[in-house]
Amino acid sequence: MPALDLFHINTGSTEPIYRQLVELVRRLVASGQLKAGDEIPSVRELAQGLVVHPMTISKAYGLLEAEGLLERRRGLAMRVAAQHQRAQAPLDRAELLRPSLERAAQEARQLELSTAQALALFKEILQAEEPQS
Amino acid sequence: MNTSLSIAADSGLAPQAGAPAASVQLRGLCLSYGGQAVLKGLDWALQPGQVIGLLGRNGAGKTSLLESLLGLREPDAGEVRLFGQSVTGLDDTLRARIGYVPQQSDLFEGFTAGQLLAYFRSFYPRWNEAKVEGLMSRWEVPRDRLIAKLSGGQQQRLSIIRALAHEPDLLVLDEPVASLDPAGRRDFLRELVERVLDRGTTVVFSTHILSDLERVAFNVAFLKEGRIACQAPLEELLDQVRIAVGSPAELQAQLSAHGAQLLRREALAPGQEQWLLRFTQGAPVDARLRALNLEDLFMELS
Repeated sequence: MPALDLFHINTGSTEPIYRQLVELVRRLVASGQLKAGDEIPSVRELAQGLVVHPMTISKAYGLLEAEGLLERRRGLAMRVAAQHQRAQAPLDRAELLRPSLERAAQEARQLELSTAQALALFKEILQAEEPQS
Repeated sequence: MNTSLSIAADSGLAPQAGAPAASVQLRGLCLSYGGQAVLKGLDWALQPGQVIGLLGRNGAGKTSLLESLLGLREPDAGEVRLFGQSVTGLDDTLRARIGYVPQQSDLFEGFTAGQLLAYFRSFYPRWNEAKVEGLMSRWEVPRDRLIAKLSGGQQQRLSIIRALAHEPDLLVLDEPVASLDPAGRRDFLRELVERVLDRGTTVVFSTHILSDLERVAFNVAFLKEGRIACQAPLEELLDQVRIAVGSPAELQAQLSAHGAQLLRREALAPGQEQWLLRFTQGAPVDARLRALNLEDLFMELS
């Protein structure tokens, strides 16, 4: 069954909700949490689960279908398209982080932080949130 | 400080050929109280199935607008049409297709909730008793207690149940969640998403709780200075509207390069201005442009 709890959105963001969902699904597929053939929640299920307008979900799914990440099947749940057999190589996955890091870099420059200071902070955050196993 | 606002009210004003009559059509609406103009030649159209969040500062006239839309207030000038018919002569069949949750509870306090619902039921040919039962129990509104003895939140839930009971085609909600706690608000939004939107109901609601609006209002309309200053899908505004700061010449160059629309300009210091730009072809990636969230849009556009 499609895992509804993989999906979440933030209100109050400058990113519209449909775009948050597109990027989320890209990350889930890139990391292998969603794989080829995995079914995703229907528009209705996700709209109800996230409590957002169904047209917002449709728009996100439509874009993901257009870029070949999802495929639509008549009368059946949409699923992750066949070419996404396994997680992308770590380098490709890292590329998905670029937009967030570009924003962070811009803010670091505005704060006049040195490269070393910014990297030290990023390292600290990464290590603080690593799972404890 | 020099500010000016010039926005073409778009989306929803031009019905497509062959589309059914707009659920709501307002033309040239003027309304004033004691010489103070509140609505100043306001034009507005809501298409069937649209969900529109009405935004405006306190005192902008949101309640006056919604009351005029429902025919509860007679405008000084202008016209209101609901489902293609003038609101002044609206027949009972069309009237029964409207649901309204007023800002101030107008429930009869000497009735119990059960008595109130039984009373309203007699007016509506379409009344979904199973839905009423379900909501009354899920939202924990006691049936047999006098309405006067219910809490503000319970009264508001009852008012929403009353408005949903006859499955209206046009639902007008004026600050429907002001007395509800976050759990109550979430229950209300869930009901909208699960059982109201997919019936194709046209919904217009005003609220200051922007996170709620962002979830369910596909379209937002900003009421400013007696007119709808801007109406568009929210995601479009988030994608297209940016703030830029610079000299007027720099800003003009940026505007021309991308064919942007100038929504608002404000002088910050001599030779420096802040422009609110709408890039209808999509905002370019440019570190000098700042994106806005809904709260920022509210501050800029209302």
